[in-house]
Amino acid sequence: MTATGLKQLSNALATPDQLSNSSSSIDGVPSDLETSIRVAGAQLTQTAGVLLGLSQDIIGQAIVIFTRFWLGADGEAYESTRPRYDVSAAALYMTAKLSFQPTSPRSVLNVYTLLCSSDTSPLWFVNPKGAPAEAPAMESYLLTEGEYQSARLTLLRIESVILRILSFDTHVALPHTIALTYLQTLGATRPAVARRVVEHLNAALLSPQLLYVTHQPNALAVAAIYLAAREDGIKLVDGNWWEVFDVDREELGFLVVGMRSLEGFMRREMEQWKNKTIPLLVDDVDSEIERRRMMVEGE
Amino acid sequence: MSASKSRWADEDPETEAIIAARKREKEEKKRAKAEKQRQLEASKAQTDGDGNDQSRNGDSGPPMKRRRLSNDADTNDAEVPENAEKKKQTTLLRFPVREWGTCRHVDNFERLNHIEEGSYGWVSRAKDINTGEVVALKKLKIENSPDGFPVTGLREIQTLLEARHANVVYLREVVMGNKMDDVYLVMDFLEHDLKALLDEMREPFLPSEIKTVLLQVVGGLEFLHAQWIMHRDLKTSNLLMNNRGEIKIADFGMARYYGDPPPKLTQLVVTLWYRAPELLLGAEKYGPEIDMWSIGCIFGELLTKEPLLQGKNEVDQVSKIFDLTGPPNSQIWPGFRSLPNAKSLRLPSNSSASSSSDPPLLPRSRFPYLTNAGLGLISELLALNPASRPTARQCLAHPYFREDPRPKPKEIFPTFPSKAGMEKRRRHHTPEAPKHGQEAPELDFAGVFGGAPGGDTGEVGAGFSLRLG
Repeated sequence: MTATGLKQLSNALATPDQLSNSSSSIDGVPSDLETSIRVAGAQLTQTAGVLLGLSQDIIGQAIVIFTRFWLGADGEAYESTRPRYDVSAAALYMTAKLSFQPTSPRSVLNVYTLLCSSDTSPLWFVNPKGAPAEAPAMESYLLTEGEYQSARLTLLRIESVILRILSFDTHVALPHTIALTYLQTLGATRPAVARRVVEHLNAALLSPQLLYVTHQPNALAVAAIYLAAREDGIKLVDGNWWEVFDVDREELGFLVVGMRSLEGFMRREMEQWKNKTIPLLVDDVDSEIERRRMMVEGE
Repeated sequence: MSASKSRWADEDPETEAIIAARKREKEEKKRAKAEKQRQLEASKAQTDGDGNDQSRNGDSGPPMKRRRLSNDADTNDAEVPENAEKKKQTTLLRFPVREWGTCRHVDNFERLNHIEEGSYGWVSRAKDINTGEVVALKKLKIENSPDGFPVTGLREIQTLLEARHANVVYLREVVMGNKMDDVYLVMDFLEHDLKALLDEMREPFLPSEIKTVLLQVVGGLEFLHAQWIMHRDLKTSNLLMNNRGEIKIADFGMARYYGDPPPKLTQLVVTLWYRAPELLLGAEKYGPEIDMWSIGCIFGELLTKEPLLQGKNEVDQVSKIFDLTGPPNSQIWPGFRSLPNAKSLRLPSNSSASSSSDPPLLPRSRFPYLTNAGLGLISELLALNPASRPTARQCLAHPYFREDPRPKPKEIFPTFPSKAGMEKRRRHHTPEAPKHGQEAPELDFAGVFGGAPGGDTGEVGAGFSLRLG
């Protein structure tokens, strides 16, 4: 198969330069805070996608676009301390628009209003009190016409900014279907394993190591299969089967470690931000940086 | 990797806490190290002079090659030695290196002259200031749409970026002007489009030349369909040709991905004269067969130099189609009766007269100089039943292309003075493709065969040979 034929199965990857000089680091956002915010933004995107009834491939693509945006943004184009939630909303809206399940700006904005409110949100990092026991009243998240119009303009403007930062390359290949093909090839057809593979792949979308923008989908698929088979105690074929899928041992090892570390990472995040909100708004980011500075000086 | 513990759930919370603490420490160190390294690199880059700034501005041309990430190496230090040996034995497929970066500014191009204005934007010839290369610059039309960046433009870029093929126009990059809605596609410049060329030529193409043209178009289309891309606006004015006899499919403003089973899509696609009958009859689900119909129309146009089916409107188009192919019946096109617009269709009663071949051959009188194989191919391409049309791949394998005269080698293809090169390209008389977001009209085809509502002057019951205007 020629290299062009592989395009559909592969992704653009981050350059070392993009990884080491993310836009936020230029603006003085500490890298652990940036990671927390980015992971929260990815979770926000995931939840919003579910509420909008979008299928997981659209949501996954939107999270990858969201991640690429933060790595690619330059200071001139976009202040990196801008609100994260509206980049999440624009990425999701744009990805859905290109898919078979387009959604309206109004639906997107209503969902994000619900999710970003510290009263109604079910997200732990937005609403530390926890999800409200009863479904929130419609009025609490439906935008007024005036609010909607201005929010819509912001949404569409940020869509343009995302497109500019990505040079209009909206292609994202996800590993999920590749993994299912590999599973069939390996003869591992137990539904429980397949489910676990998909779980690992979805979880990896939140990875602080940015696995989806540093590794090709085939490698992610192989790592998820390796991990799931191991957890389930399934013996796959003998030999270095991952090489059949063009993944070397070193890359597989790195990805498996990365995927396995995710649960611990999320636990630590929840511990660290217990009873606090992760700043997704620009003002919040600034005040969090300020707070940390005070803490350091106070010590 | 620690292989001893297979599940992560059932661990002792205390040891887990210790492990977590250690991990945190380790990560802290790692982060510090990475930070140090970054600073080192930054200072090094500064001493190097050119620095990162330039590459981030995107002005320095193509981005750097991807390097091995130092982080990866750190984590896997221990595994490298034992791995080194094995690596030599297996060769793994490597994916093409691709990156993303911010758009360049349109000021990197100097506009030379205007070429044409299509339904999806203005095209001009331009020169890359840095390299001196001549390119085609297409400004996307972005009306203030309530839905943000037009999905047609996004699809055009997405499919063009995907469709890297010798017979598809090459999209080099997308650049922007000062405003957010100033978006330009930078594409390879080709001297001609087939429509302008046919208009200028005194004699039609030779049979050998037609085969060369058609093979390239269908070759490009086969690739598109293999990538699950439908073009949805194939016509001679969207086929570009250079002076080396190479044909490239252009204008992906209507193109989109499709699936299997086919998703529900708008029927308002393809320029009227090249639009397949199932679209005209309102099919909500359709597939790549609509592109094959357009190929049939293009084939006919190459033979006669004139567009094959020049309907004035949808109803007239259907009438012209049936005039050429004969009316549909449930034998040659099972199920056409259930298409939305077929309800109003009143077919002549004698239409069941079955033909010996499937699909029936087109009348020989329309293409007097075509060989039998050629007539067979165009009849298959213009089969009313989408299922009877050949796929792009089947089309390429058709005997027509193997019989004499053989396709003329591209290298000895005649050259023509370029319209686009120097002066404004002539405005075509081809109708334009439908606009995105239009509502599909409810069509009343009762008049196609001379019924009353059409209000035409035809005789009742004269059958499909009736011409409307």
